[in-house]
Amino acid sequence: MIKRKFAVVTITALAVFGLVLSACGGNSDAGTKATNELEQIKAAGVIKVGTMGTYPPYTFLNEQKEVDGFDPDIAKEIAKRLGVKAEFTTQDFSGLIPSLQAKKFDIVISQVTITDERKAQIDFTDSYITNNVKIIVNTNNTDITKLEDFKGKTIGVGLGTNDETYLRTEVLPKVGKFEIKTYDDVITSLKDLDAGRIDATINNLYALKPIVDENGFEIKAVGEAIKSDMAGVALRKDNTELRDAMNKALADMKADGTYDTLFQKWFGEAPAK
Amino acid sequence: MQLVFDNLPFLLKGAGYTLLLTIVSMFFGLIIGLVVAVARLKGNLPIRWIARFYVSIIRGTPLLVQIVIIYYGLVDYGITLGSLTAAYIALSVNAGAYLSETFRGAILSVPKGQLEAAYSTGMTPWQAMRRIVLPQAMRIAIPPMGNTFIGMLKETSLVSVITVSELLRQAQLLIAQYYQYMPFYLGIGIMYWIMSTGLAFILERFERRLAKAY
Repeated sequence: MIKRKFAVVTITALAVFGLVLSACGGNSDAGTKATNELEQIKAAGVIKVGTMGTYPPYTFLNEQKEVDGFDPDIAKEIAKRLGVKAEFTTQDFSGLIPSLQAKKFDIVISQVTITDERKAQIDFTDSYITNNVKIIVNTNNTDITKLEDFKGKTIGVGLGTNDETYLRTEVLPKVGKFEIKTYDDVITSLKDLDAGRIDATINNLYALKPIVDENGFEIKAVGEAIKSDMAGVALRKDNTELRDAMNKALADMKADGTYDTLFQKWFGEAPAK
Repeated sequence: MQLVFDNLPFLLKGAGYTLLLTIVSMFFGLIIGLVVAVARLKGNLPIRWIARFYVSIIRGTPLLVQIVIIYYGLVDYGITLGSLTAAYIALSVNAGAYLSETFRGAILSVPKGQLEAAYSTGMTPWQAMRRIVLPQAMRIAIPPMGNTFIGMLKETSLVSVITVSELLRQAQLLIAQYYQYMPFYLGIGIMYWIMSTGLAFILERFERRLAKAY
């Protein structure tokens, strides 16, 4: 008798469990898209922005532990011109685009370089900054001055960044084998360069200055710029209204001098025309 | 899923590192664990306290924090370790603390009378430990040890943060290339599962072999 009771309980439990599981599986997206994303953002009064937060001066946490930097300032300015508030979320760079796809935020502003591979997945506004990328080495390193010198060396780079793709697909086949080490943020890659665990990395010059000033890393940029990258604000595909509105905000910003002021504030020089 | 099959060699390389990390850190973890367990049971007061302190720190802080401290933190004190070395050290030290508790419990579970009997036949404490207590304790320790072992296999994924190209990192690299994450995460999930099942199977065989001696 007891045995049978036990069996009944077990089967009931299993059935309930099964029901719960199947209920979880159903992803009911009942809300049809009545309005476009721009409208939704305006209605909510908030635009959700994803950024790294570990890449000064572009995006970092300031003394008050708020997201700050050139990129967030641009995002706030765009938000202001759309008549909404910007709300920031920080995450590893490699997770930003997946999170954008998963609708965790509306836009990503984190020095996302505009590339054709990315364009297949997401959409971009017009570029809001052009960065010159240089080779960066330890101060007492004299044998790396150009990409060809990477052969047989260990090169660090941010995981999922356009620099990583560039090293893997363009530099590797050209100069011969070298090891690529991937990092979750810029600071750790530079720390390892300072410690001598990697021979070189590639990055923007503006990115170096605050980190070097702050931590006294003994690193320097060498040679000519290896490439120029244009970064844009990333958003999900098929959002023409949102994209156009942001492009207009960017254009207005550049026209009325706000952009120049921001650029001057963060990089201490006027943007290259 | 086609993507995963196309990139299988790349992922398998990562799986190889995962297994290597698990085996090396378990090996050293066993040694550390045994030494610490004996130190806590037989050591004099200061040694006992040092052992307790070590176990308490390691078990009371996240492994991720330990890994980052050993790799990035020690640099500030002039100790620059390679990423693999740092991973071995962090994982061994971590496994050692957990295993020491396993061993301590196992050693304590051998009845005191056995030890007294061993002494009365004229064995030295070390002999008694080696011949009487440890063989019996070993059998008791196997299941929880296996637990730590399998836990370790999965914990190795944490060393991806210090640029070790183990299974998780290899998957992340592929994701950064293709912007497709579900197939890769599912793929490595299955790979982890296969590996831990394999480990569990080996441990089971081991346990049976040890049981035969009695």
